Amino acid sequence: MRSEAAQSAPEATIEERWKSFIYLEARLADEGRYSEWEALWTDDARYWVPMREGQDSSSELSYINDNRGRIKSRVAQLNSGARHAQTPPSMMRRLVSSFELLDRDDRSVTIGSNFMLLEYRMEMVTWGGRSIHRIDTSGRDLRLIAKTVHLVNASGPLKTLAFLI
Amino acid sequence: MTQLHETTATEPDIERLVEPHRVHGTVYTSPTIFELELERIFRDGWVFVAHDSEVPEMGDYVTKRIGRESLIVSRAKDGEVHVLANRCTHRGNRLCNAEKGSARLFRCPYHGWTFGNDGTLKAVPMKVGYAERFSALREDLALVHLPRVDSYGGFIFASLAAAGPSLRDHLGRATAAIDRLLDLSPTRRINLGAGWMKHEQNANWKMVMENNVDGYHALFTHQSVYDSIKPAKVSHQPSKVRVLVRDLGNGHSEIDYSQEYEKLDEEFVWFGRTPRDRLARYVAALEDAYGPDKTHHSLVVGPPHTLIFPNLFLAEMNIMTVELIGPGKSIAYTTAALIEGQPEINERMLRRTEGAMGPAGFLIADDGEIGMRNQLGLASRAVEWLELSRGVETDETDETGVINYDKSAETPQRGFWREWRRVMAEP
Repeated sequence: MRSEAAQSAPEATIEERWKSFIYLEARLADEGRYSEWEALWTDDARYWVPMREGQDSSSELSYINDNRGRIKSRVAQLNSGARHAQTPPSMMRRLVSSFELLDRDDRSVTIGSNFMLLEYRMEMVTWGGRSIHRIDTSGRDLRLIAKTVHLVNASGPLKTLAFLI
Repeated sequence: MTQLHETTATEPDIERLVEPHRVHGTVYTSPTIFELELERIFRDGWVFVAHDSEVPEMGDYVTKRIGRESLIVSRAKDGEVHVLANRCTHRGNRLCNAEKGSARLFRCPYHGWTFGNDGTLKAVPMKVGYAERFSALREDLALVHLPRVDSYGGFIFASLAAAGPSLRDHLGRATAAIDRLLDLSPTRRINLGAGWMKHEQNANWKMVMENNVDGYHALFTHQSVYDSIKPAKVSHQPSKVRVLVRDLGNGHSEIDYSQEYEKLDEEFVWFGRTPRDRLARYVAALEDAYGPDKTHHSLVVGPPHTLIFPNLFLAEMNIMTVELIGPGKSIAYTTAALIEGQPEINERMLRRTEGAMGPAGFLIADDGEIGMRNQLGLASRAVEWLELSRGVETDETDETGVINYDKSAETPQRGFWREWRRVMAEP
């Protein structure tokens, strides 16, 4: 299930696989498929939403700065059914585009992209920004090592961000 | 202070809206009451503005909003912190539009008037247009300093009213809470320089603040954290713990875990029960400063969980304040209370703040949701009152205030509302 898109076309080019993986990650988040989303991550994961670009997280606060353990907690809370800020869950769809290959090494590729997200709960809220995905390409399935989200309104104020961005 | 725009057409009968054990729903929803609050609480009273660690160096400044006032808090070359109205004295343009920075001068982009960071009017382009009136004008049109500014433990408070009680009188017993926080710093200084998370909430500012000293809600509002992430640090069942709530007077109130922690005699219960040897450098610095016994005690009882009326919440190792947008909209500001010179514990502190607080926090995102739903419920006119009588039979008074050993008692709320009624009813 995890790699349903990524594996759908074995003859796909490597670029298409990365894109499919990023689309899948977005769709699992949009559809509140929390455990499937969690399964995308590697053990050394980092899910990061800073308050400004170029910030030093050793001395500055981020909105989200999850290691693998905290991703697990975030997902467990969402799965509990008592995460009031996502009860009922937001209806969401996001568009992801403007892919750029930023870096690659023996283990991974790093892809930049832009997104726009429509979130509806009590009202329609528009979110947007730039995502940086670092994807583990060393195994059979692609895995997510790091995702950084630079929100256009990162300097705030932000509405509640209890869903997966 | 006589001001032309302060007339309020139909003033609500404040005294009737707050009874000892219940309050009327309109105190959260009425635009008229909101306007009165801006005047009587946020203009006339002492309000928290900034912490001096936000402007550590000469020339540093931050801008803040208190009620409708935009303020510049700057450290001038005399080393003093100035709290200035962020409004060009010429034609009213908002002078400084950055959230923070460092500057000797603020230059208005409209007509080029230039002010020093101590507020003095330094330069007016083409001043010949004012002929000989210029020198008098230059004195009169310096940036406006807020009439009263004072601080305690680095927390800077200000009031727009020239007269009123001193800050020490206003803080009263709440200075002990600030002291309790500073006891955790080897230098008695904390640092609020990690950045403020700003969380827009569709709730009245009082809901955002008073919920923080509600000892009743955690088991329900935060059930998902205790069930799916980790159990509460000590039980939330009042009968099982020696945790008390306290009305400190002057609207200040707290949830006090210290007696329960003393009973456990265990350090860092309040910090995820982190073992002392993982924070060895920090503990050694504390022992150097205070000796082993006082250090042990400070590390057992931990930081305060105290609301300082009206807008400062010492949220253990976090600090929260609130910006008022409208009766049903507020912005909660949260940062970490870092310990000066202690990167080892500070980095852990940041990660804890991120986990709990702010728009994505495991705790506060749900408090924000409950606040919004409260606001939706309070829109009703079929039901008028909110009930705050829990624990009224078991309240006791001692030298520390009105206390209740049932942490779910609404003692803090009763204290908050008594002060709110007093300041709102007596302009």
